[in-house]
Amino acid sequence: MPLETAFCFDLDGTLTKQEILPLLAKEVGLAEEMSALTMATMQGVLPFQQSFRLRVRLLSEISLKRAQEIVATVPLYALTSDFIRAHSKQCFVITGNLDVWVSGLMERIACPAITAKAEIEGDCLRGVSHFIDKGEAVRKIKKDFEKVVIIGDGMNDVPMFEQGDVKIAFGGTHPPIDTLIKMADYVTYHERGLCCLLDTLL
Amino acid sequence: MLPFRHAIISAAGFGSRLGMNSPKCLVQIGGYALIDYQLDLLQDIPDVRIVVGFKEEDVINHVRQKRPDAVFVRNPQFHCTSNSHSVWLASRHMKEPFLILDGDLLIKKSDFQTIMITEQSNKTWIGITSCKSEEPVYATVNEKNQITNFSFTDATAWEWCGIALVPPNIIGSNQKYVFEELKKILPTAAEKFTVYEIDTPRDYAIASDHISNLGYSLGSIG
Repeated sequence: MPLETAFCFDLDGTLTKQEILPLLAKEVGLAEEMSALTMATMQGVLPFQQSFRLRVRLLSEISLKRAQEIVATVPLYALTSDFIRAHSKQCFVITGNLDVWVSGLMERIACPAITAKAEIEGDCLRGVSHFIDKGEAVRKIKKDFEKVVIIGDGMNDVPMFEQGDVKIAFGGTHPPIDTLIKMADYVTYHERGLCCLLDTLL
Repeated sequence: MLPFRHAIISAAGFGSRLGMNSPKCLVQIGGYALIDYQLDLLQDIPDVRIVVGFKEEDVINHVRQKRPDAVFVRNPQFHCTSNSHSVWLASRHMKEPFLILDGDLLIKKSDFQTIMITEQSNKTWIGITSCKSEEPVYATVNEKNQITNFSFTDATAWEWCGIALVPPNIIGSNQKYVFEELKKILPTAAEKFTVYEIDTPRDYAIASDHISNLGYSLGSIG
């Protein structure tokens, strides 16, 4: 029998208390530039794929090992992570971020992740071999569940919201973009509120 | 043990009869927004949901400062839907009883605290107040202190006051008033409150006169 509810989470800013790419950019002295680029992308000023390719290029001089060390230190929302661990068969992380960068984080979160794929050569990042279509990822998950709850904050979460049955705009790390708020059923700015809500949606 | 874990404040409407270009829940009274008094009452309740519609950004930005973990429930159709639709939006997935609170109420604090202390966990009740509004929904109360009927015409000394602890799945998505939906669970225990509902400029003037007697310590809720 199919499980009742699936929960699809964005990663950066939704499960992490910081955006991951600006943190990596610090390592190469480009933190502010990366933040500006990330904000512009979140707001939909730049198309995600182009922006992400550019951001990966900027960060490609960091060795994979070092990047993974940095990403492993990113703080996660504790209550939300607990919720996911307690319901790991119903929870999915859907992120445009790279598999090789977020693998350490995903071990901590402990649920299936749908990520972009990196092209690597030894310990070096060469580029992005596969981008994900977040809407398509939700469509696939939907087949096995009665309803799908989406939790996100940025422009690239819009395709997920279009597929979701219950849509939650989360503003814990930064305010959710306006477009997402206008599509949302619920808006909350704190993981405590979010988790109370998620508990009632199980 | 808390008598309930979920609370819903309906704050989506225009408040057209009050004639201020602001959601009613943000109207200033005694130096604070109306909703600040309600949030003060609900500070121990873990799940507080605010239904927003008219000028939703203003309500969200205000409430976030006072209650950072509030959940906002959007009712973009607020201009053409009923209060019961708003409550339904906020409660449709709930599996436990929840408190409903109209966003235009000023409640005597000690009355609410009594409920928090004395009521059994998740026991259903409906709030009434002594009849004083211009268009009351009269409540018939029997000798066991249960409400047996609501009516616009059968005058009694009591009226429905916009507060209730209701079981899940009672309030439907429709164009009815909340009290019409509550008829499904009558007879139900009555709880008496001193409440000022702010619908009209006259209501606002009366509530302003009484605010200092309602037991709120204004400094602590700013």
